[in-house]
Amino acid sequence: MPGAVDRIIELLGSADKETANTSMRIPNALREAATIAVNDLGAAPSTTALTTTALRAALEAVVMQAGLDQHYEQHPRARPTLGDLAVAAAELDGHPLARKPARLRRAASQILALHPNADADAVLLWAEAQDAVPA
Amino acid sequence: MSQAIVFDNEAVQALSDPDHPKHNRVVSHVQVVTDRKKRATQTSIVVPTSVRVEAGWDRTDPAWAFPNSLGIADAGLDTALANAATAIRYRTGTGISVADAHVGAVIQSSASARITVITSDPDDMQLVAESTPVVVVTI
Repeated sequence: MPGAVDRIIELLGSADKETANTSMRIPNALREAATIAVNDLGAAPSTTALTTTALRAALEAVVMQAGLDQHYEQHPRARPTLGDLAVAAAELDGHPLARKPARLRRAASQILALHPNADADAVLLWAEAQDAVPA
Repeated sequence: MSQAIVFDNEAVQALSDPDHPKHNRVVSHVQVVTDRKKRATQTSIVVPTSVRVEAGWDRTDPAWAFPNSLGIADAGLDTALANAATAIRYRTGTGISVADAHVGAVIQSSASARITVITSDPDDMQLVAESTPVVVVTI
């Protein structure tokens, strides 16, 4: 698997801009939705650009997660908790709650009890919502 | 909203070494970026190449396999960025290192709506960003 991941990273970083026609079959409804998004909403310069951007992002996420998973396997203590991730998300966004890590870790514990698959942004939203409601 | 995350020297060092006291913190940042990418959020991590030199990150060295596996892109010091970095160094004073000036040039040339720098040197990062809004994460 590391070989496959390395090859994907190499290809994603390649300066080769040569294109190829593909015989990829896309559902008609999805293709029409993409056309509307491009023509009416200006989502991308073209449906091809929209598709390739989304495909690139998906592949980047695949390789990043593969790299992280392998690292967590080798170093289990490096695996972040949901509280760690919520703090990191707040820091990356410059969110005011980044200055209240204990508050975010508490919100992460609360949300995990109800939603075991919640992500960091859900914790941020939950903590923000709680702060917005008068006690 | 598109977001670019720029790694400074300490972030690179922390990421590469599982025993580094800030390792878990930087890994958490990378995991958040990965999770957001899965939701098709436009976000990416870049490392200015002169920061890589300062941190000793040789992509051909097996010791850097973990950072290499995360698809962190190089922001090279090409002609335009070298000119921009030189100008930043001139404006802010020569006490700024080449790597910091390069970080500043990357920040100022980014097309992303939000730019975040992960660093142990927040004052210098604010300095080289000049008037460009930047989120500085101090590790």
